[in-house]
Amino acid sequence: MDDDRLTAKNNYVKPVQALPIRGFFGRIAYGLGSLLKGMRVTMHYFIHPSTVVTQQYPENRETLVLSPRIRSQLSLIHDESGYHKCTACHICEQACPNASIHVVDRPEPAISKKELDFFIWRLDSCTFCNLCVMVCPFQCLEMKPTFESSVYDQRLLAYNLTKYAGPTSTVLAKQTDDEARKNMIEPRQVYDGPTELGGFILAGMPESTREKKS
Amino acid sequence: MPSVSSTLTMPLMVGTVLGVVGFISVVAMILVYAERKVAAHFQCRLGPMRVGWHGTLQSIADSLKLFLKEDIVPTKADHLLHAFAPVISVMAAILTLIAIPFSSHLVLADVSIGVLYVSAVSGIGVLGILLGGWSSNNKWSLLGAMRAGAQIISYELSVTLSLLVIILFAGSLRLTDIVHSQEAGWWIWRAPGVGLLAFVLFLIASTAEINRTPFDLAEGESELTAGFHTEYSGLRFAFFFLAEYMNLFIVAAMGATLFWGGWMPLHIGGFTAFNQLMDFIPGTVWFFGKVITLIFVIMWFRWTFPRLRVDQLMSLEWKVLMPLGFLNLLVAAFLSLFGWYFFPLVF
Ligand code: SF4
Ligand code: SF4
Repeated sequence: MDDDRLTAKNNYVKPVQALPIRGFFGRIAYGLGSLLKGMRVTMHYFIHPSTVVTQQYPENRETLVLSPRIRSQLSLIHDESGYHKCTACHICEQACPNASIHVVDRPEPAISKKELDFFIWRLDSCTFCNLCVMVCPFQCLEMKPTFESSVYDQRLLAYNLTKYAGPTSTVLAKQTDDEARKNMIEPRQVYDGPTELGGFILAGMPESTREKKS
Repeated sequence: MPSVSSTLTMPLMVGTVLGVVGFISVVAMILVYAERKVAAHFQCRLGPMRVGWHGTLQSIADSLKLFLKEDIVPTKADHLLHAFAPVISVMAAILTLIAIPFSSHLVLADVSIGVLYVSAVSGIGVLGILLGGWSSNNKWSLLGAMRAGAQIISYELSVTLSLLVIILFAGSLRLTDIVHSQEAGWWIWRAPGVGLLAFVLFLIASTAEINRTPFDLAEGESELTAGFHTEYSGLRFAFFFLAEYMNLFIVAAMGATLFWGGWMPLHIGGFTAFNQLMDFIPGTVWFFGKVITLIFVIMWFRWTFPRLRVDQLMSLEWKVLMPLGFLNLLVAAFLSLFGWYFFPLVF
């Protein structure tokens, strides 16, 4: 295999070379040579089973190898103490081409600003374009490799990504008193929040377990 | 040459026919499975893995599915021809198969004009494709069939020109005679240069003749849906499929018989000890080993080479393969006339 072509930096696109004119037999030899080169590449794959990329998925669930760039589920990054850095700035919401993100804020009494209440992300309409992750000015979003998200009720695909309603980790870190910090935040569950799939009730499906915020 | 054909009686004949039908179904199923596996590994995939151990029963499941599938015929199709076309294709494949010598004793019909018979009868297959395309009353089918017709008729020339080279050296059209003429060595290397060139021409042209990628213009999925068999489903589609894989087998068998010594073991004139060692391996094993190797090479082509455009296809045949074939034939005629090839005195 032409390995140096694969590893050479910034050399993915080679300028197209005009086919050198070598006469009737020369061109036949040239063509056959390049075909043989291709056959060498495919034979390399054939006799090296380690090049196989297929995953025998349900069987090898434990040892599954996923690409590091996989985009399967959006997640709001929470640090070790369980706090996120989202300021509820709505930039990701506006960047989303499918309106799959719904950032719900609430007034933060202490500093007379807004803070995050719910971060609703709808997997069913997300195209995993990664725009939200890229635009967030505080890098609070990431794509997780957990892909087993199938459910029997479409409404269960609208997630609330934040684990609490309240200010960012920076604000919370400034608060030294543990008790006061606890009072600033309110826990949130994964199916909490106001987005109810446009009010649809799917026939034959159990009612969503999500509690509505009044 | 003892052959079964001389002793055929009516019940034996029926048995033979049933045997041949069973044989082609099994061979086609194995080939389909092999192709899927080979293709998968060429493309860093695994292929069928679920039905049976490593997907070995996949072909059986697929054939059952095809048997049980609804057979849909377009309302405005020519019903008689539509039903007849796949049968013609399979018929041509079966008729060709019976002339091929599988081993020194397993020759169903030892035709004295074997090579001519095989190339003539396998040409009937294109009639099935043309009829199928025409009777479907669908423009994709018709275009595909027309392309297949043009392609097969063109490449038939190159196939015949390369076969003629071997006939010149072997001095016979009978396939068993050709096999016996290779006792001292296979024609691919015994005929200096011309044998190899004829083999390469044969391989390219017959890949085109059986409509396999890179010459699968007749069913170019991207442009003609499925070409001539767009309007076929169920059992009739299975028949076309069967014919396609039987033709693959036949091409490999013909290549092995004419260029690689058929069921003959690998002999090098003179080296007695080596030759005796090779004789221990039975002829059928030699034959099928060669056929499998050739089939693998043709599959290797299919999963490696870029596809040709229709005009490129035609210029490849008429501007490259055919002139080369004629040149090769001319040189081969001189070589065989003056006996300028390896071990000319052995037979
Ligand atoms: S990945 Fe794209 S579609 Fe999905 S939520 Fe983010 S911006 Fe919207
Ligand atoms: S996730 Fe980022 S972009 Fe979206 S609201 Fe929070 S801080 Fe703004």
